[in-house]
Amino acid sequence: MERYDIAIIGTGPAGVSAALTARNRNKSILLLGSREMSEKVVKAHEIRNYPGLPFVKGEEMAAAFRDQLDRMGIAVTEKRVGAVYAMGDYFALQTGEEMQEAKTVILATGVVQAKTLPGEEALLGRGVSYCATCDAPLYRGRTAAVIGYSPREEAEAAFLSEVCAKVMYFPMYREEPDLPSGVEVIRETPAEILKGDAGMTVKTAEGTYSADGVFVLREAVAPAQLVPGLETDGAHVAVNRRMETNLPGVFACGDLTGTPYQYVKAAGEGNVAAISAAAYIDRTEKGGNKNG
Amino acid sequence: MVKKLNTQDFKDTAMTAPVAVVDFNATWCGPCRMLAPVLEELSDKYAEKVSFYSVDVDESPALAMQYRVSSVPCLVLLKDGKFIDQSIGFRPEGQLAAWIDGNL
Repeated sequence: MERYDIAIIGTGPAGVSAALTARNRNKSILLLGSREMSEKVVKAHEIRNYPGLPFVKGEEMAAAFRDQLDRMGIAVTEKRVGAVYAMGDYFALQTGEEMQEAKTVILATGVVQAKTLPGEEALLGRGVSYCATCDAPLYRGRTAAVIGYSPREEAEAAFLSEVCAKVMYFPMYREEPDLPSGVEVIRETPAEILKGDAGMTVKTAEGTYSADGVFVLREAVAPAQLVPGLETDGAHVAVNRRMETNLPGVFACGDLTGTPYQYVKAAGEGNVAAISAAAYIDRTEKGGNKNG
Repeated sequence: MVKKLNTQDFKDTAMTAPVAVVDFNATWCGPCRMLAPVLEELSDKYAEKVSFYSVDVDESPALAMQYRVSSVPCLVLLKDGKFIDQSIGFRPEGQLAAWIDGNL
């Protein structure tokens, strides 16, 4: 398997800028994201403070990014990264069923505004799970509550219903869920997750529901879940001026590192992150210091 | 080395070791597969002090129930057979080493 020098996650201004700089430094790159670039960029009405692109519309900026990547020979791999594991002297990136390897990782995913439910984080791994396909077998023949934030999560609930004795599904969206008949759909909004001696409880304004396990499924993955062990500061990743995180070899840039949420700030940080990643590779390969 | 255990072996090995780290895992769990080589490394580094074991939750559901494993991978640290602490999910080697050190 090819081990890339730098895996860059995200194709907004931070990720694109990091990729361009990494290419300039002759590093092999795995750029993960979308050929559409960033949804936030595409939807921007007009950007007035990006040097060199005066009064640019979001769509035009995305097209300019795409063109620049093409001209630099940088491909975009359109895959969603589920997790990044620090394996010592390299990183393993899980993209669906596949694994990719890289010496360094630059996180440029943007900021995810996922507000957690009271009790959710404290009980994660202690009755609350974010991954039905991972933990479902532990609830074989038992009761599961699923809080789904988008219709995409229904497949996981359907999978759980094959394994569990009972599945309750709380849709957090308007569309009518399309689920196997055995799944009980509850149109109430969970306010809190609690744990007692007998198991877990999902509390809504209308009532309480007991289950052995509670699965909270949302599209946006918090950075500390994406990269186990990563130090965060609220919704942001903690970095220093070199865009280094607490994990050696992992860098972060753009909105993910905090405000101001400005395209030009993101692009600047992407540049710094790529330079730091390149320096990290040169340093570890020269010194053979695996622990960095 | 990380030794694989079943419910029967558990009493004679993990329960009698001065310090044991037991990795509850499953074959279908991606993070478990990633954690395995990290634990192998740690088991070499802590060879003198800590015994490392692995338990497949599908093969040994009784043990998983006993230690209330509700998410895998789940590491359980035992001292003379007594439960001391648990660590859930994948964590990098340095952080696991700090976790073990904090419990020694």
